[in-house]
Amino acid sequence: MTRFVLARLVQMAAVLVVMSFVIYTLIGLMPGDPIDVMVASDPHLSTADAARLKALYGLDQPLARRYLAWGEAALRGDFGYSRLYQQPALAVLLPRLGNTAILMGTSFVLALGVALPLGIAASRNPGSAFDRAVNLIALGFISVPSFWLALMLIFVFAVALGLLPAGGIETVGDGGVADRARHLVLPVATLALASMGGYLRYMRAAMIDALAQDYIRTARAKGAGEARVLLGHALRNALIPVITVAALSFGSLFSGALVTETMFAYPGMGQLIYEAVLGSDYNLALAGLLLATAMTLVANLGADIAYAAADPRIAYR
Amino acid sequence: MVQPRRRWRSSGTVLLAFIRRHSAWVAVLLSVLFAVPAVARPPDELAIGITQYPSTLNPVIDEMVAKTYVLGMTRRPLTVYDADWHVVCMLCVTLPSFENGLAQKLDLPGGKTGVRLTYTIRPDARWGDGVPVTTKDVLFSDAVGKDPRTGVADAELYRRIIAIRAVDDKTFVMDIDKLTFDYADMNDFEILPAHIEAAAFANPEEYRFRTAYDTDPTNPGLYFGPYRITELSPGSHIVLDRNPTWWGPKPYFRRIVVWTIENTAALEANLLAHGIDMVAGELGLSLDEALAFEKRHGRDFHVIYKPGLTYEHVDLNLDNPILAERDVRRALLYAIDRAAISASLFAGRDPVANSFVPPLDWVYTDDVPHYDYDPGKAAALLDAAGWRVGPDGMRRNSGGQSLSLELATTSGDRTRELVEEVLQSQWRQVGIDVHLKNQPARVLFGDTLTQRKFDMAMYAWISAPENVPRSMLRSDEIPDAANHYAGENFPGFRDPETDRLIDAIEVELDRGKREALWHRLQRLFAEELPSLPLYFRAEAFVLPPWLDGVTPTGNEYPSTLWIENWRRAMPGSEG
Amino acid sequence: MTMRKGPALVLTALAIAVTAGPMLIGQAGALVDLRHRLAGPSLAHPLGTDEIGRDLLLRLLEGGRVSLLVGLVAALAAAGFGTAIGLVAGYRGGRIDALLMRITDGVIALPLLPLLIVLAALDPRKLGLQGLADSDAASLYRIIILVALVGWTTVARLVRGAALSLREREFVRAAVSLGASPLRIMLVHILPNLASPIIVATTLSVGDIILLESVLSFLGLGVAPPLASWGNMLTGAQETIALAPQLALYPGLLILLTVVSCNLLGDSLQQALDPRGARR
Repeated sequence: MTRFVLARLVQMAAVLVVMSFVIYTLIGLMPGDPIDVMVASDPHLSTADAARLKALYGLDQPLARRYLAWGEAALRGDFGYSRLYQQPALAVLLPRLGNTAILMGTSFVLALGVALPLGIAASRNPGSAFDRAVNLIALGFISVPSFWLALMLIFVFAVALGLLPAGGIETVGDGGVADRARHLVLPVATLALASMGGYLRYMRAAMIDALAQDYIRTARAKGAGEARVLLGHALRNALIPVITVAALSFGSLFSGALVTETMFAYPGMGQLIYEAVLGSDYNLALAGLLLATAMTLVANLGADIAYAAADPRIAYR
Repeated sequence: MVQPRRRWRSSGTVLLAFIRRHSAWVAVLLSVLFAVPAVARPPDELAIGITQYPSTLNPVIDEMVAKTYVLGMTRRPLTVYDADWHVVCMLCVTLPSFENGLAQKLDLPGGKTGVRLTYTIRPDARWGDGVPVTTKDVLFSDAVGKDPRTGVADAELYRRIIAIRAVDDKTFVMDIDKLTFDYADMNDFEILPAHIEAAAFANPEEYRFRTAYDTDPTNPGLYFGPYRITELSPGSHIVLDRNPTWWGPKPYFRRIVVWTIENTAALEANLLAHGIDMVAGELGLSLDEALAFEKRHGRDFHVIYKPGLTYEHVDLNLDNPILAERDVRRALLYAIDRAAISASLFAGRDPVANSFVPPLDWVYTDDVPHYDYDPGKAAALLDAAGWRVGPDGMRRNSGGQSLSLELATTSGDRTRELVEEVLQSQWRQVGIDVHLKNQPARVLFGDTLTQRKFDMAMYAWISAPENVPRSMLRSDEIPDAANHYAGENFPGFRDPETDRLIDAIEVELDRGKREALWHRLQRLFAEELPSLPLYFRAEAFVLPPWLDGVTPTGNEYPSTLWIENWRRAMPGSEG
Repeated sequence: MTMRKGPALVLTALAIAVTAGPMLIGQAGALVDLRHRLAGPSLAHPLGTDEIGRDLLLRLLEGGRVSLLVGLVAALAAAGFGTAIGLVAGYRGGRIDALLMRITDGVIALPLLPLLIVLAALDPRKLGLQGLADSDAASLYRIIILVALVGWTTVARLVRGAALSLREREFVRAAVSLGASPLRIMLVHILPNLASPIIVATTLSVGDIILLESVLSFLGLGVAPPLASWGNMLTGAQETIALAPQLALYPGLLILLTVVSCNLLGDSLQQALDPRGARR
């Protein structure tokens, strides 16, 4: 197992390096002079310094040399300065990471918390009215554009009813737990509803599969109660693919969080990346994208480890 | 075989039972979530919302409205344009003029005429640490501004000051290289505290990074206005408290907090939740956002619309053969309904522009060619110019070339994009084919305009009262590779009469004569139309009903320069 | 049976509406009419008007044209690419299969939206595509390419699965023993039999592709004004939501309707044609 994990970690590092090269190249294709922007963002640089650095790393230098220079600094933890915030890029990113983690974490738990029981309930009578309704609801949620869902929620709860704030992370001057929680309700609801559909369908399908297995029939024949059969046997086995799918869809959860954060002006990482790209803040965009990719890779690795740990039939070589 | 059906409670009943059992907790949770919090703030504290955070607090480095707004509470310029757009003294005692002898003509080598101005700093002006504001500070500030290594934003200002000489601690004499009609206007000369900033200026190249305004911004010695900065949270907010050394009337508010909330939906949400009391018009909601807000919450807030000096227009590249013809330019203007745009999109708050001079400016004249919406006239002009309507409704000339132009503006600005679509549609109706090509502001202002790679470009100039359009219209201010793209005459307008008028206006001290020159200039502009004037943008100030004394200026100088007059209305004196 | 007929009918109706509708309504509705902006339903404008007075129904239909067209073309492009990948992976097997599937999984797992945002913000002139950049339809080309770049994975997976099983069939074995080249076998023998999984996979991916286009257009990185698409009609809706919620409601509803129909259709097609295919 350890060898497997180590091998995967090495693979992860390789993928990250490749991605960093790809993204760095893409940044170089942005409008304007990205190198100029990246170098000159540092408010502590004199113009002479900026000119010197630009000559060193400018667009007339070969790509490989530029990338290596950037990479070397990155390994030291220096991701350059953010043009928009006049601070080191990493210093801008890391606090936002926390905000996004709260948003994604809460939505993830909520989505699973609703999808799993519903999926289990639906799987008990496939084809019943309840099952068809659940299926339709799930289909609806995977088909709805998440930003539109956000718009509708904003309209109903913030505009029409005036119950919840339409944006932001807290009321300025407040920032207490209750205030923050109020500001989280709509974003979390949006993200949870948008991601719930997929989990629901997968849970239901996995449970139906599990319930059709032989060992279920054996358990029932042995007289086990319905609850025990459902939750004790079937769920345990159905949960494995579901959790791994959920972890593998981390990437799409992050994309959903980006849209949600932008809609609700929630200061998270996704919204930061969007603003950095559009605001030509290339250092920030680069660092943010890499962080997002790294997080996704870690989540994938976690999923694989969890899968291996949960299912003794899987042996990784 | 039929599966035995066990009794199993449906999911719905399980949920209901759960809620019933934990109803107390559920009630608490719901009330916490949905109760509108009351942000407690003492009545002598004011919270202002703006949409940007200053990149630096140093008065001479970087041009940012956010910075000028906040600094407006903490210091006073020598002179300023007040709300009636007259130059008045703020830090000085008497405004120099030829009548009172404080201004004198200066003969300069080369036959040029300069002016010698004498200013006296108010005797009671003191920095927040008690040190008086003296001519030492003036001389220091001049040295900082003149040094090319410090990278000040407005280098032109310092270039025009030939020399400054201190008469005593409070009086100094300035020699300016050109006698212009606005000779007494020293609005932009910022005074820095020599006793604090001298250390930072020891190495001029490093001044930008060593300036105490950024390394020690809460130092009281940096400010001499009604307030001083006592606390900051970068990117979030700035706290200002009363400055005991302030010479004027004691400001009503003990403490002012300026919050930066970039997203306008969040700005509105905070207004409603009383996280902030007001939104600054200089840097807050756009006009249509304010209009929408007023529609919904007009009862709880007082919205002031102040027409301003932001001149929204469409520059026409006169090197394009289509646009080189004056009749085509006039047709373009006749074909669009600016009054309707202003009336419907801006509730009529943005006055239609006839030229680059705003209606509130004293030199404004309405006696210029007007181009009220008249598609018939536009069509006639185009026909006469040789552009005939083809079968597809679009016009072509005899050579088969179609009347097709590109319109660029800043992308991401919803209002501008809507206006663009309106213009495009109206031009299409007279057979002009316009394509929209939007770009990020950096690209538009950085490359496209300076290198004149456009057909038509829609954007705004922020002007000043009686601002002479030298760099906008003079024929030697056309940016090109030879002059390193200096100048702002993006249309490429070359008119000797305009050049003459501009030169004459600058040095004409007699108001009557100058007014006549201005009228001629406006008429010429409206006849030639190097750019299509659209409207002057108004600023929207969203204020609570209990706040008195906020006087929007409508010009580039913020309302905070009179912040000592802001107060809570006395009960019974509403309205 | 209604599971398939229903959505198919809906999609056909939509297709007809967006194709014929604008021609029937005529261009009068496209005129900007500032005196009647954000108006409610009336005889002249059955659904009301938008922020600058254009007829909302007409805009919805025109937007539908673009959204459906982009969806279809991108889906076909993605299907082409995905089929190629899936075919090679499934037929060749072994390390090529492992590599290609690893890449596919990698693309699925990546945080796609941030990367697409970067790709959308690229300057096409730097890629030497000056002519493309200046054309009117530039934003259309861009969005189709972007969406196709990430939309091929579903097809690749399904095709690979089918190709894997087809590889073992008699007629393929026969062709191999007769000395046919791998390329010939893939194109002549296996590909025609992949019709079902390809159709299923493409239908299933159209929904996702339409959603992707709408998000990117909404963010201002997809279809650019004055071209309408359901996504970019929602861009300004947040500002006017208090005054005119219908501007936000209709485009989103249409997207929802279209995507649900595609998904339902794809699901039922899968039941009928390829029940052993990968589940979503």
